[in-house]
Amino acid sequence: MTGRLSQAAVTVILVAAAFGVVALIMGISGYSVTEVFSGSLQGAVTAKGAPSSTVRWAIPLFLIALGVTIGFRAGFFNIGGQGQFYVGACSALAVSLGWRTGPGVLVILLGTLAAMASGAVWSFIPGYLRVRFGTDEVLTTLMMSFIGMLVLQYLTAGPMRNPAGSGQTAASERIPDAYRITGSSGVSLTVLLIVGVTAALIWILLERTRFGLRVDLAGRNATMARWQGINVRRVGLASFVLAGALAGLAGAVELYGPAARLVTGFSPTVGFNAVVVALVGLLSVPGVAAAALFFGGLQSAVLFLPIVSDLPPSALVLLHGTVALLVTIRVRAKRRVAAA
Amino acid sequence: MEQILATTLRSAAPLALVALAGVFAFRAGIFHLGLEGLMITGAFVSVAVGDATGSVAVAILAATAVCMALSVLFWLVIEPLRANVIIAGLGLTSIGLGGTAFALAAVYDTRGSIRTDIALPRPVRGVNEGFGVIFSELSLLVWITPLIVFLAWVTLRRSRFGLRLAAVGEYPFAARSVGINPSVMRLKALLIAGALCALGGAELSVGALSSFTENMTAGRGFIAFVAVIFGAWHPIGAALAGLFFGFAEAVGIQSQINISESVPREFVLMIPYVLTIFAVWLGGLRRRRSLEAEAGYAELREPD
Repeated sequence: MTGRLSQAAVTVILVAAAFGVVALIMGISGYSVTEVFSGSLQGAVTAKGAPSSTVRWAIPLFLIALGVTIGFRAGFFNIGGQGQFYVGACSALAVSLGWRTGPGVLVILLGTLAAMASGAVWSFIPGYLRVRFGTDEVLTTLMMSFIGMLVLQYLTAGPMRNPAGSGQTAASERIPDAYRITGSSGVSLTVLLIVGVTAALIWILLERTRFGLRVDLAGRNATMARWQGINVRRVGLASFVLAGALAGLAGAVELYGPAARLVTGFSPTVGFNAVVVALVGLLSVPGVAAAALFFGGLQSAVLFLPIVSDLPPSALVLLHGTVALLVTIRVRAKRRVAAA
Repeated sequence: MEQILATTLRSAAPLALVALAGVFAFRAGIFHLGLEGLMITGAFVSVAVGDATGSVAVAILAATAVCMALSVLFWLVIEPLRANVIIAGLGLTSIGLGGTAFALAAVYDTRGSIRTDIALPRPVRGVNEGFGVIFSELSLLVWITPLIVFLAWVTLRRSRFGLRLAAVGEYPFAARSVGINPSVMRLKALLIAGALCALGGAELSVGALSSFTENMTAGRGFIAFVAVIFGAWHPIGAALAGLFFGFAEAVGIQSQINISESVPREFVLMIPYVLTIFAVWLGGLRRRRSLEAEAGYAELREPD
């Protein structure tokens, strides 16, 4: 327990250090750090609508990061969340555009299932190659991510393009309000319920079931796990499928929730940010939830900041990068190398 | 047809240069996912410094220096501080993309792009007839890229340094046992990689366009990384893979103009990624063996 606490302390210090570095850069560039800080606090917490905006941005981060967590705990570097998220959102859109007369609940249910299935497939391919042939999953999940981005680009610029839309960025048409689970705020009882139940299920799965124990054992020492009679391949593959399904779910929630339509290259860094969130959350479900809320708050703050200060949104990208650069300094994600 | 050839060469040169950077890192046992970030930094610094000083040589030197400094930072984090290479590399990429966009806003007060009058020399500029015309737009860096590829090949395959580097990447424990310090070798490899990324980025900004746009590398650093794998982490193989991806990019640009109805551009752009998955799959066993060597070394180093 104390090990866990000191690990958390180190992580907090490293994240604080990253903030310090970025604040220094902002100061040198002539921004008022106190102004940015108080503005961020307003944008994330105190301003009207800020808390719900924080939650809105935390949700996709949280869902994808849960998947990353399962993968890392099983010893796999599944960093393809971005692509899984995109194909999930595309599938959800395809269902709601394909069945325009369907009853709302059914369409949303079917679309969400389709999203989770397609995200799972996107993750299954690298997962299968990894456990069956030892193909490096860092590369394959990254490649699948790029392919997923191009799928989204193709669909929003081609078959699913809104014919009435003008503008330079390709976007699909909006889905009808009947097929949405939130307003544009992105927060509603339904969404909170979906996310809460998912989080509870994943927590139980990881902490209270045999499967969770097997995941941790396989991630810590695959050879030993195999000797103890654990089918490491099956556990590994399940971790990939679950991660993909969670990222796909995030895509469906994004579409049926705040987004309502898909735009080429939307949320372009959410997959990578989710990896950062998972690591900052020390690969535990409550930790990841806290980290997701924190980074969701930052996202909300950055969108709010132009009102009080002219800080460019790229400052957040810089911050995420700095956190990623530093966060694993001690907290090394387990990377299983002796293949399954 | 000639147009495709010229576009291919122009697209391929930065890819080949950054792919060489990836090869140096890969040889030292580093999966360098920060190439994209270094590349965009090189692109930005060369435009910014070139615009401020008016000298393209100073611009290239400054870009190289900044990218090498960032490489030292990367090395500090992954070697002495033992952070995870993949996460730190992706972090470096975000720092590059976010940092350049931030600097664009903070220094130039713009969110879009900056232009400069500075450009790399174009050796065949004067030629106005025959075959030479299509090459007149190519910058000096494109012309000397084959030379750089050759030098990289000599360094990696025919020099003492290169062979030591290979030893560090393939079996660090053995390297250490004959008195090579793997960590220092990795620093040297990363420094070379940083300089090559700076050149690749500079070609993109002051070579081809004389301007810098936010996010202008558009994933080329990752494509270059793919070229490393695709070219079996051999300098010439990676450069040829870069040439091939440059060709794919050129065809993609052409098909966008000409035959966009029959073949969607996105499908052309997917080809490198799909091919890479196949390449990694089929070449997977070799990679795994070297990773196991790495694991064995890691266990010797930290018996926890």
